[in-house]
Amino acid sequence: MSTSQDLPPKGGYDAIQWRRNLPSRGFRPSIYLGIMGAVSLFGFWRLSIAMRVAREEKREKTWARIHLLPLLQAEADRDTVRRHYATMEREKAIMKDRPDWADGKPVYHDGRLHAPTFVILEDAKSAR
Amino acid sequence: MTTSKTNPREPHSLPYYITDPTPLPSHIPSVPEIGATSAPLLSASYFIGARCAPFNEDFMLCRSQSRSGEIDCLKEGRRVTRCAISVLDDINKNCQAEFRKHWGCLENENHDLSRCRLDEAPLNACVAKFLNLTKVIPNSDGTPINDYETPSFFKNKVKAKYEQ
Repeated sequence: MSTSQDLPPKGGYDAIQWRRNLPSRGFRPSIYLGIMGAVSLFGFWRLSIAMRVAREEKREKTWARIHLLPLLQAEADRDTVRRHYATMEREKAIMKDRPDWADGKPVYHDGRLHAPTFVILEDAKSAR
Repeated sequence: MTTSKTNPREPHSLPYYITDPTPLPSHIPSVPEIGATSAPLLSASYFIGARCAPFNEDFMLCRSQSRSGEIDCLKEGRRVTRCAISVLDDINKNCQAEFRKHWGCLENENHDLSRCRLDEAPLNACVAKFLNLTKVIPNSDGTPINDYETPSFFKNKVKAKYEQ
């Protein structure tokens, strides 16, 4: 009587594949880190240039204004003085019947020129 | 100037109500006003600063040293205005085309000097040639601002637009 026994194949079984078979894609992580660092460095370099230019342009605009400021201030001052003297004249005309009224006496005694805190509104029809 | 039944009071905050046409008193000498709008003034500002620096500084010093500088510094103020008018007159006499092109660009480009470099360069050259005034930004490192690198893509686009 012949007996048959379950035996391994000739040469033995193949090795059991217990490791996951995942093909590695792309570069090493350190290379990605390096690329990111390089891109950031480039960006910060351009940013430094842009900030320097922006600062210089802001200074340019500021100095343009500084050069114009005395001109604009002088013009505004002439208008302020014109209105001040007009106010004085108007006050003199309004208070001409009051001998106890001191013409042009300032409200404050600090020696500064104060714009009047009130406005004489003209008649609408005559102002048109 | 409309009155309604619900509010019969006339509005009185309109500007022509508070205009005061009274001229300056006769004892104050008159001076023509500059009469230029913001773009020509910005375009000519560095040349005004270059020629009128003594008058400007004198006026501002007077203003800061006097309590009522508005009245006390009228004479210095007239000098400032006359000097600025002379600069604008000279630019208009010698470099009118370049000047108009530059301040026209400033008006179109939201008064951004950096977007009008291509029109600024011929104006600076012309003014330096005829008026002998140069644009110098104080405390800069000596690099002319036109030579700064412009990294912005938008600026290059604007530049390309003007080079056409």
